[in-house]
Amino acid sequence: MKSFTLKNRRLSVISKLLIIVLWILLSRTIDNEVIFPTISSTFHSFTDIVRRPSFIIIISHSLIRTLIGFVISLVLAVIIGILSSISNIIYHLMIPIINFLTSVPTMAIIILALIWLNNEFAPMFVGFIMVFPILYETVLKGILDLDSNIIDMAKVYKVQKMTLIKDVYIPNIFLNLSYIFPSALGINFKMVIAGEALSQPKYAIGTNLQLQKMYLNTSGVFAWIIIILLMSKIFKYVLEGVNHLCIKSKI
Amino acid sequence: MYKIKNINKSYKDLKVLEDISIDFPKNKTICILGSSGCGKTTLLNILLGITNKDSGDIIGFEEDISVVFQEDRLIPWKNIKDNIKFVLKRKMEKEQIESIIDEYFELVNLQEYKYYYPKNISGGMRQKINILRAFLYPSNILIMDEPFKSLDINSKEVLINFFKDLRIIENKTCIIVTHDIDEAIALGHKIVILTDKPTMVKRVIESEGIKDKTELRILIEEELIIKK
Repeated sequence: MKSFTLKNRRLSVISKLLIIVLWILLSRTIDNEVIFPTISSTFHSFTDIVRRPSFIIIISHSLIRTLIGFVISLVLAVIIGILSSISNIIYHLMIPIINFLTSVPTMAIIILALIWLNNEFAPMFVGFIMVFPILYETVLKGILDLDSNIIDMAKVYKVQKMTLIKDVYIPNIFLNLSYIFPSALGINFKMVIAGEALSQPKYAIGTNLQLQKMYLNTSGVFAWIIIILLMSKIFKYVLEGVNHLCIKSKI
Repeated sequence: MYKIKNINKSYKDLKVLEDISIDFPKNKTICILGSSGCGKTTLLNILLGITNKDSGDIIGFEEDISVVFQEDRLIPWKNIKDNIKFVLKRKMEKEQIESIIDEYFELVNLQEYKYYYPKNISGGMRQKINILRAFLYPSNILIMDEPFKSLDINSKEVLINFFKDLRIIENKTCIIVTHDIDEAIALGHKIVILTDKPTMVKRVIESEGIKDKTELRILIEEELIIKK
């Protein structure tokens, strides 16, 4: 097991080195900063962006949009998921809505969001639309797939319904959600940035990406992509850490 | 005395239980012995109210019942103490729950496991907690469905002794369903032998009065093997 993990780590380092080598080779072969910037120019753009006084404001606005959209999706997914598990009518009403949300192209949603909402809310709405179906289905699964043996045990011991909901159903819902939190939040973050790129709010990562593109500053675009990747990684590690502390050490 | 009288149960055309009548004397252990798949669990589910009977009478089983299932049925995200608290909440005050759990864990020498999570203890230990939970639940009747089935011989012996110790502390009417002759001999004051489908009561042995366990074994084996 240990040697397997070590081997995986080695492969991961090799793949990262390979990307860098490919980047160097491509930028040298193409030899055009607008089409494919070099590592050094991207690094300069990166340090320029990070040093700007507005940098923290920009990323914090994007983060706040991501978190607000995510929390709204989560709250609604939990409420509607619970209602769907109780009511057959709500369950069947939700099927076409979820099918629509999961199959409609992202760009169509962004365009609709731009028509309906102002540029501050449109990115949040886009993130919400993409993440809500994932969270809703996870909540529903957490309720419907609960181990029937535990439910029977609770019935035999005449455990009160409220205790059953509080101690079994809700923890099981959040246990299921905890497995998909990192990826769902990652998707939400990317969708919010996509929405920002088109709706152009004042402070936003997406707006800045678009701005760099307009100035044909491809190294700036690359630098922002690296910032997004780093932020996604931080999200992932933080959530995995919280998960490990709260859940994985027990189950 | 708890009783079942002329219990019948069929699934469509398949007759599972036929005219089952058993007396369960208070504070005794009654072992219901039969081959695997003969309908023992159906009978237990009828007693627990999980399955409906077609006809017959059940007397005295309306009260609260403790159950030891084949599987431990512990909640994975709760520690051992909280798993037990979960079933006691409706029956007792908080302080009483705390004190009874502390008292019993000390009596059976399991204090160190109180804050362990189910995944961190062995299968045998989990089944011990399953049994302890059933004893701690305030009831006069304890029903056990093949509680030692999935255990190895050593763990089985440990658990049988654990059960016997708990029975001394907390005297309940215990109904144990099993296909294992050794378990029935070790635990039963009364052994009810069932036939294969349709399941009927073949013989009732008042094993408490038989001191010679070899004689008891021969009696049971005659019913289970020779007259099959």
